[in-house]
Amino acid sequence: MNHWIIAPVILPALLAPLIAFVMRHDIVVARAASAIGTLALLAISIGLTVLAAKGETHVYYLGNWPAPFGIVLVLDRLSALMVLLTAILAVIVLLHAMITEWDNRGRHFHALFQFQLMGICGAFLTGDAFNLFVFFEVLLIASYGLMVHSGGKTRLQAGLQYVVMNLVGSTLFLFALGTLYAATGTLNIADLVVKVQESSADDSGLIRVAAMLLLIVFGIKAALVPLHFWLPATYANAPAPVAALFAIMTKVGAYAIIRIHGMAFGPDNPATDTLIGDWLFPLALLTIALGAVGVLGARRVGPLLSYAVVGSMGTLLLAVSVFDPYATTTALYYLIHSTFSAAALFLLADLIVARRGNDWLGLQPATMHNGLFAALFFVAAIGMVGMPPLSGFLGKLMILDALSAPEVIGWAWTAILVASLLSILGFARAGSILFWKSTSASMNTADVSNTAAAQDHRSAPIPAVGFDVAPAMLAVALLVALAATAGPVTSYLEATSAQIYESSGYVDAVLNGASEEAR
Amino acid sequence: MELLVASAVGALTAGGVYLILRLRAFAVILGLALLSYAVNVFLFSTGRLAVNKPPVLDGYTVTDFAAYTDPLPQALVLTAIVISFGMTAVLVMFALGAYLEVGDDKIDMQAPDQPDQGATARDARDPEHEQIKFRFEPKERDV
Amino acid sequence: MFSENSLLAIIAILPFLGALVPGIMIRAGRNACASFTAIPTVLALVLLGALAPGVMDGTVYRYEIEWLPQLGLSAAFFLDGLGLLFACMILGVGLLITLYARYYLSSKDPMGQFYTYLLLFQGAMLGIVLSDNILLLLIFWELTSLSSFLLIGYWKHLPEGRQGARMALTVTGAGGLAMIGGMLILGQIVGSYHLTDILAAGDQIRASEWYAPALILILLGAFTKSAQFPFHFWLPHAMAAPTPVSAYLHSATMVKAGVFLLARMWPALAGTDLWFYTVASVGLVTMVLGAVIALFKDDLKALLAFSTVSHLGLLTMLLGFGTKEAAIAAVFHIINHLTFKAALFMTAGIIDHETGTRDIKRLGGLARLMPITAVIGTVAALSMAGFPLFNGFLSKEAMLHEAAHTTWYQNSWIVGTLATLGALFSVAYSLRFIFHVFAGPPRDDYPAKPHDPGFGMWAAPAFLCIFVIAIGVAPFLATPVVKMAAEAVTGQDLTFYLKIWHGVNTAFLMSVAAILGGAILLVMHRHLDRIWVAAPRPEAKAIFDRLIAASVGSMRGLTATLHHGAISRYLAIVVAVTVALGAIAFTGGTMGPVTRDLTPVPPVVFVGWVLLMAAVAMVVIHHRVRFRALVVIGVIGLMISSGFVYLSAPDLALTQITVETVTILLLLLALHFLPKQTPIESGAGRRTSDAALAIATGVAVAALAYSFMLRDFSTISDFHLANSKSGGGGTNVVNVILVDFRGYDTYGEIIVLGIAGLCIYALMEALLNGPAGRKLRNADFGADRSRDRHPLMMVVATRVMLPIALMVAVYIFLRGHNQPGGGFVAGLIFSIALLMQYMASGFAWTTRRKRFEYHALIGFGVLIAGLTGVGSWLAGRPFLTSNFGYFEFPPIEEFELATALLFDLGVFLCVLGAVMLMLYSLSRLARHAGETVNQEPMEYDPSLAVRAPSSTGKGA
Repeated sequence: MNHWIIAPVILPALLAPLIAFVMRHDIVVARAASAIGTLALLAISIGLTVLAAKGETHVYYLGNWPAPFGIVLVLDRLSALMVLLTAILAVIVLLHAMITEWDNRGRHFHALFQFQLMGICGAFLTGDAFNLFVFFEVLLIASYGLMVHSGGKTRLQAGLQYVVMNLVGSTLFLFALGTLYAATGTLNIADLVVKVQESSADDSGLIRVAAMLLLIVFGIKAALVPLHFWLPATYANAPAPVAALFAIMTKVGAYAIIRIHGMAFGPDNPATDTLIGDWLFPLALLTIALGAVGVLGARRVGPLLSYAVVGSMGTLLLAVSVFDPYATTTALYYLIHSTFSAAALFLLADLIVARRGNDWLGLQPATMHNGLFAALFFVAAIGMVGMPPLSGFLGKLMILDALSAPEVIGWAWTAILVASLLSILGFARAGSILFWKSTSASMNTADVSNTAAAQDHRSAPIPAVGFDVAPAMLAVALLVALAATAGPVTSYLEATSAQIYESSGYVDAVLNGASEEAR
Repeated sequence: MELLVASAVGALTAGGVYLILRLRAFAVILGLALLSYAVNVFLFSTGRLAVNKPPVLDGYTVTDFAAYTDPLPQALVLTAIVISFGMTAVLVMFALGAYLEVGDDKIDMQAPDQPDQGATARDARDPEHEQIKFRFEPKERDV
Repeated sequence: MFSENSLLAIIAILPFLGALVPGIMIRAGRNACASFTAIPTVLALVLLGALAPGVMDGTVYRYEIEWLPQLGLSAAFFLDGLGLLFACMILGVGLLITLYARYYLSSKDPMGQFYTYLLLFQGAMLGIVLSDNILLLLIFWELTSLSSFLLIGYWKHLPEGRQGARMALTVTGAGGLAMIGGMLILGQIVGSYHLTDILAAGDQIRASEWYAPALILILLGAFTKSAQFPFHFWLPHAMAAPTPVSAYLHSATMVKAGVFLLARMWPALAGTDLWFYTVASVGLVTMVLGAVIALFKDDLKALLAFSTVSHLGLLTMLLGFGTKEAAIAAVFHIINHLTFKAALFMTAGIIDHETGTRDIKRLGGLARLMPITAVIGTVAALSMAGFPLFNGFLSKEAMLHEAAHTTWYQNSWIVGTLATLGALFSVAYSLRFIFHVFAGPPRDDYPAKPHDPGFGMWAAPAFLCIFVIAIGVAPFLATPVVKMAAEAVTGQDLTFYLKIWHGVNTAFLMSVAAILGGAILLVMHRHLDRIWVAAPRPEAKAIFDRLIAASVGSMRGLTATLHHGAISRYLAIVVAVTVALGAIAFTGGTMGPVTRDLTPVPPVVFVGWVLLMAAVAMVVIHHRVRFRALVVIGVIGLMISSGFVYLSAPDLALTQITVETVTILLLLLALHFLPKQTPIESGAGRRTSDAALAIATGVAVAALAYSFMLRDFSTISDFHLANSKSGGGGTNVVNVILVDFRGYDTYGEIIVLGIAGLCIYALMEALLNGPAGRKLRNADFGADRSRDRHPLMMVVATRVMLPIALMVAVYIFLRGHNQPGGGFVAGLIFSIALLMQYMASGFAWTTRRKRFEYHALIGFGVLIAGLTGVGSWLAGRPFLTSNFGYFEFPPIEEFELATALLFDLGVFLCVLGAVMLMLYSLSRLARHAGETVNQEPMEYDPSLAVRAPSSTGKGA
């Protein structure tokens, strides 16, 4: 059995306590350890992706108990991809946090960061429904700590709301799992697939409820309207690097829907048939609409980006909701894209806001390096709203192409295209206010005085050392790369979604795979 | 018995839901506590009910499974209890922190996008909408 | 291998590479910057020249690179007559503009930026005309919108620049998005996104039922780009851009993109009634409207802008006719319009540059002041008016000829008449351009002292004027080019000759009429202008602004109403949605038959149930009195635990009761800092609705639980029962599941605890160093504090209990694997013992007697657990494989317990550490709040003798 499969979980899990309890008094050492750990995670996840790309589903039998009785980790293309995505994002975010000294504005940033990574990777790798819950909790509680990192009034309030909302979500998750167990008597996902397929249509009540409750649980994570309410306040008030890292958190929800509903509760099984898709589709449409509305209406940079994230989640889930391989392929491509574009924008916003002193889209004199930030913001925004030539455009194009079945085309295309227009407007407004208007002659010293009110406890204008834009640039560069390599990437993703929808392969690997049974 | 357990779960849930909809953090904490009771019992009951069949083996090998109640939900509940304990602790501290920062323990806050102390009236109005005449042409009219 | 085809890719990529140059070269000075910017353009032109002969002979060059085959998107380029014509126009004019801009831009303007944007735009434009893949075309299409956004907003400090830019982006962007839809449909009809395939499949496309939507969407894109009515309004505002931009984008290239697309798609889409009536009509209306408005514009650039609108309408109309002759005329006019309009814009720029104004009312008599400019302007303007011997005349003649022979809804004269009208007005405004600007006595009231600019500035327009006259006098020169392009458009072989004199025919009479009428109009201009000013007209910009403002406002309102920050409402929505969807899902399915009969209920259990229900009711009713609520919560926990005992779950009972205790203790300690009462804030109505929702939820959950408790099921846990002892080495199956079967869950669980500790610690740090810390110091929580802080009884009791409690903890810990108990419970009992010490004797006293560091406790806990798991790797086993069975020789009881114990030890330490860390944080709060710390137990608190704000003993 390949022990590397569990490395993405164990590595941070062992590193974090060391950072927290041995190096907690020396930020430099903590940084070094955290950085090395994250890079190692990246290396490992690359290795795992290469391994998974061969198409075989690798199973790791924890405690050496045979499935479905013990807990298994499953490495297939999808989980490998998500772990890799997490690792790349983590490197970028960590860099930013270090360069901008965010990590030094409160205690235990790096420990919590590593625990966060552990939680996310664990959630992606696990093949057990209840274990998924456990790792949801790990990544959530770590995110609570990161969310209120360095404190502050509004941030604490938002943090409290974030915690409450997620505790309700977790409770719901347990209700869902209970129902699931009561119906099928199992927790292992592969076994679940089998049990659900065996279940007869005339005893489908519990399974349907379980599927629906799970959809809602994951919907909360994925900011599916009307379960999204926690997101704007949270993202807008979280420390920038954390907000950037959260770009992957919403994707965890999307991943779970693809994994569990895509494999177990898809339209092809008698118990749930089209129940999930029928509800996910309209809600995703609402999500797209609301995201666009928020972007155009935003008064501050934080909410602007938050609603952009909501909108992108809507687009992503819309593609997921039809549960067919090609649509899922496009969804996955868009997932990668939106992760990086959101991260890029949040990191940029952090630098810009730090220079402006507050994040209001208001009149203010231009700050240092106005041109540089204008250019970067322009490119990142192009990525987010899905204008060419970046990956956002290709992603949207593919999703439109995938959603051209007569029964969905009208709603889907209208929603996506109109929403794109509104977002373009919104970002054009924001950019023009931030970078153009600020240079206008009407900007007199009077304005400077009353913009001192900073949202964070950080001193206003600091000159760019050029260094601190590197992480954001890296994220933008990834968007470019993603667009340039769209062909190969998509063919990997095609294989991925094929693997998801031929669930038999997954099931065989897990249930009939050889755990070295020595008992 | 089943009826009692089910009704108990229902009551706990109802009470919890009512309390989490209150406006003060403390009430919400109580509500979440009730909810976690509810979900624990619910989860436990998924193993179906059994009296005097604790899952503690008396022999090396098990012959009669019916002699023991379903251990798995119990294990799950245990995990759930521990986790919710940690969560509650964090929640309490958050509530405390928010209270100390804000001055009251109201749980609602202003919308993320509304003007707050950081903003002035100038920020609130949209800066890009003063009417502008076409350049070099005092009486601009076009169709 | 290298072929001419691959030249295409190079041509397409050159401008983008070139875009990098200016940014660097600007450091070398403005001349260097300009000349280096010209290099890529020149290169591209040369390469094109290399391919031109081949294209003339009818060969079509192709080059393709795979990009996104799954979608059908590839970097495919092809070059035919039409492409060649446009490519030359784009690059040629681009070159002239580069030259012109060098002298136009003032030293304050960042020239490097300008040239970068310019080349980006050039590349995008070139891409449009060279793409062989409509998806690729889309990409370049949107790129032109973006780059023109940057160019229009180039003078970013000017509001009209910013607004014009955003208006252009909005309108053209919207069109572009519509076109995305259209192109995708088109591709799906044909089954390929290759332009060449699509052009070949015209009949199939026109036959498909998706033809109409595809056509409409594509036309939306084309019309917005080419400023066709009713989308024409953005173009005049785009004139806020520097004049070189106006000359390049808004006369020669970008606005022609729409026309180009119509021409390009002509074989695939043209020829239907839908095409004719939409395209031709829109073109006709635009032509007349633009011409009329142009006459009354006093800003030179506005005049030219609307004349451009009008001419674009003319082209659109011609392509709309759908006849070969019309297509030829269109191609011919594209060339001519390019030459004279670009020249005119540059002239306007020169005038603005020299005199400092573009207001025609303030201009006049420039013929004497700046003769060269006057000559250039006049030649170009006459061509625009369509006077003989200038190229404008020929194409306008052809246009009128086509118009005269077009019937519109059985009406054979309306098109012709309107076309003449349009021509008439364009004569009028062209003449106005000449007479009101150059003619008349020289004025001396100019902001600046006007004189002819240097050669560099008038070279470009003069060069264009050469074409104006050359083609005008000897049209046969243009014939091969027009033939090449027109054949590419129509996809058929054409034979025709462009000549000056077609004899006295309708078209000739029409243009004569136009010229005369135009002259008369000009004479009457003053009066007409007065009428025009008086007449009410909708102001496009005002409407657009209001529209945008309104939408932004409403969006803002909607967002604010939805996201009011009241989480209590959010939660209500989430709960309601959950219940509703759950119910829908449930009712949509069916339940199997009931297979279990109810378990009997002994009275004592019933009493317990009643107690529980009562307690729940109590909590809900009295939740405002916080202490009471906490106590009652405790009762609930007790009831539930006893329920667990009765329902054969001893472990649960044990855990529940201990967790209960710790939680409530912590809550009590926290409550010390919180208000003791919850005020009534929600009205009766809201409380009722909340109650209703709550009850609904409760009923739903109860029903769900009841429904499955009555039905049997097969579960995987039989395996656990069977293997617990033999495989896991413990008789307490629940514990074995926790530390072995599902040890990974437990691992995650203790990590959650550890993180909880960290979060709390970090949070406290942030709090105490923030404003909250200061607040605390001034706060007085002592109001309800008893003077004797540590009652003797309690102190003694706890001291006695401590060792007992610890022993119990150890016992529970050790028996865990076989009997109810385990590390978690043990840890809790241990910490309860310490908690009691704290409550009894004060924190400081206790801490001074503690010998361990809480952080370290958690750390070791997590590490031990983790390493126990990793340890199994040494034996080549998966993570968390319990030691039992590692060795060949028969297992020994103690030994077999080892790993489980180790793991459980991790749990134990983690729990202890987490709880104590929370306690520690709370006590730090307390000390900040000025609670004096007793060094000895049972000591008397001096600070409370006098009820001064407790400030003493801060240092402790």
